[in-house]
Amino acid sequence: MSSYSITEPSSLQKWLAGTLVVAYAVITLLPLVWILTTGFKSPVDAIAYPPKILFEPSLEGYVNLFTTRTRVAPETLEALPPPATWYEEVVRNRDMVIAGPSRYGERFLNSVIIGFGSTFLSVFLGTLAAYAFSRFKVPLKDDLLFFILSTRMMPPIAVAIPIFLMFRTLGLSDTHLGMILLYTAVNISLAVWLLKGFMDEIPREYEEAALIDGYTRFQAFYKVVLPQAATGIASTAIFCLIFSWNEYAFAVLLTSGTAQTAPPFIPTIIGVGGQDWPAVAAGATLFLVPVMVFTILLRKHLLRGITFGAVRK
Amino acid sequence: MSQFVHGLMRFRRGPWEMLASVLIAIGVVMLMQPVVLWAYTYSFIVTLTGTVMFIVVSHFPD
Amino acid sequence: MSDTPIDRVAKATPPSVASKIRGLSDRAIAWLFVLPTIFLLLAVNIFPLIWTINLSFTNFRANRPNREVDYIGLRNYERILTDEDIWLTMQATAHFLFWTIFFQVLIGFTLAWLINRKFKGNDLWTTLIVLPMMLSPAVVGNFWTFLYQPQIGLFNYGISFLTGIDPSSFQMIGDVTLAPWSIVIVDTWMWTPFVMLICLAGLRSIPDYIYEAAEIDRASQWRQFWTITIPMVLPFLMLAVLFRGIENFKMFDLVVQLTGGGPGSITELTSINLKREAFEKWRTGYASAYAIILFVTVFGLASIYVKALNKVKER
Repeated sequence: MSSYSITEPSSLQKWLAGTLVVAYAVITLLPLVWILTTGFKSPVDAIAYPPKILFEPSLEGYVNLFTTRTRVAPETLEALPPPATWYEEVVRNRDMVIAGPSRYGERFLNSVIIGFGSTFLSVFLGTLAAYAFSRFKVPLKDDLLFFILSTRMMPPIAVAIPIFLMFRTLGLSDTHLGMILLYTAVNISLAVWLLKGFMDEIPREYEEAALIDGYTRFQAFYKVVLPQAATGIASTAIFCLIFSWNEYAFAVLLTSGTAQTAPPFIPTIIGVGGQDWPAVAAGATLFLVPVMVFTILLRKHLLRGITFGAVRK
Repeated sequence: MSQFVHGLMRFRRGPWEMLASVLIAIGVVMLMQPVVLWAYTYSFIVTLTGTVMFIVVSHFPD
Repeated sequence: MSDTPIDRVAKATPPSVASKIRGLSDRAIAWLFVLPTIFLLLAVNIFPLIWTINLSFTNFRANRPNREVDYIGLRNYERILTDEDIWLTMQATAHFLFWTIFFQVLIGFTLAWLINRKFKGNDLWTTLIVLPMMLSPAVVGNFWTFLYQPQIGLFNYGISFLTGIDPSSFQMIGDVTLAPWSIVIVDTWMWTPFVMLICLAGLRSIPDYIYEAAEIDRASQWRQFWTITIPMVLPFLMLAVLFRGIENFKMFDLVVQLTGGGPGSITELTSINLKREAFEKWRTGYASAYAIILFVTVFGLASIYVKALNKVKER
């Protein structure tokens, strides 16, 4: 590269572009910052006018998120022994006592179980299928690949009608297994397309050399190809996980109790007179932060993931 | 343009896929336009024709 | 590429030997590897689809499974395609679709173009800008109802800070004229990064020598932009527009949490309307026909999308 290139933007241009992009980034991140901070506000600060930028941090939102509380009369409250823990004290300050844990923990755990379960299954099946599509002559290959991709495009509500009936007949409604299978079916299209892209990039010569060395095709697959595809498999897994983690339409229609995930649950967190915003924000924070971390980890493969492997940068 | 017609007559994939895409696009516009009700009514048939056509013609030779 | 022993063996292997060793069982392995996926998709997608097609010709109601089911031919389709209320939800979807794509392309392309000026730290800022689109739309939609509150909401406060309008004088979600824009704003906020990323890939795929040649021909910056940049980015832009179009045509989670289709049915997009028919009114047969209409539309758009995808892949 020469030190001077006519296509290189001037430093003024760069400075101007940088300023505009940073300005956009700041504005676009404000709602996210607001979610993070609202979680640490007291209910009074959260709905203050004008909106408070500086506030005294409070953990009440998080306490409310994880507990259910009942209001008691002041006399009863005074008769109680002094609060044993800091979170009991937070609740007592509002003339309430803790009645028990909330459902948030369970719902979060459901999200983890269903998310990881479906990710594992779709990456497992997707890796096998992607290898076959990448290396062998599969009859009607293009049609099959299109069919696989098109399943992801379908409107969830439209798919949910027969799935609802099918799950009801099979007894899969509101079960972890049902949701795992459903999310696997949705994710597998992404897994196959993405992984096929990654596998196409691994030179065939590697396996052919292994085959000559006396490996069977299957050994060549898991001793030579799999390690080479490890990065691709990992980033595919994260994409699948993010989808199942964020999914709402199927979850709200097909689950109600035992297998309900966090996205349909968080909007139902209510307090006195409407939604308890600090608790909602606390729930949202715990739920969104893992995805933000993953996004930052994935940044190199992001473009591939959102275009089903077509754009590789 | 004459190349397009020529391709159509010799059952080439490119021009036929283009035709099917245009049909699908017209169907989608008819479905969502706010002007005439009958266009909305017949949009589904147009989109369906385009979609079926697309599946068929994608097997024509290049 | 590194020259490992495997590489050297690979280069020394004549292709005919390699293909002989792969031999017959490859076919078996190919099927063994592909079939589980196909089977799962048949069970969870194709079988239900056929069931839906079948149901769409009936008057079945899922909340009364024991009632006798009659085949009523194309009556469901006829009713849906002449129903002015459903036509209105299609128009609401069209408004949402058109304006979200318009703003996302405008802002997304501009951002991509600015980032491509390669200023210091552009990678970091790109990653930060991308964050909203990876989050759960339902959770985000729910929180935006808080940001849209008159008086206490950050959005209204921001608008009043910039324009001086009283923040409690307008309600983004409750107002008939503003509600359709409230969903456009949130969707644009969330998905502009998507268009931006794809445009950025398009811009980066243009080799420098094309601009250098144009520079030698003394083509103006403006002319270079319209004759080189735009045509070269266009296939990528098509891809982004089609994908956002399909996604927003079936939009459900974000909007149902944000406005719930209200006020009245001003923001009742097609998917929300379908959910009411299928899971609140339980007109399953009718909703199945409705679903098939959406299916075919999305399927048609998806085939164009895959065509665009392959076009970009060739680059």
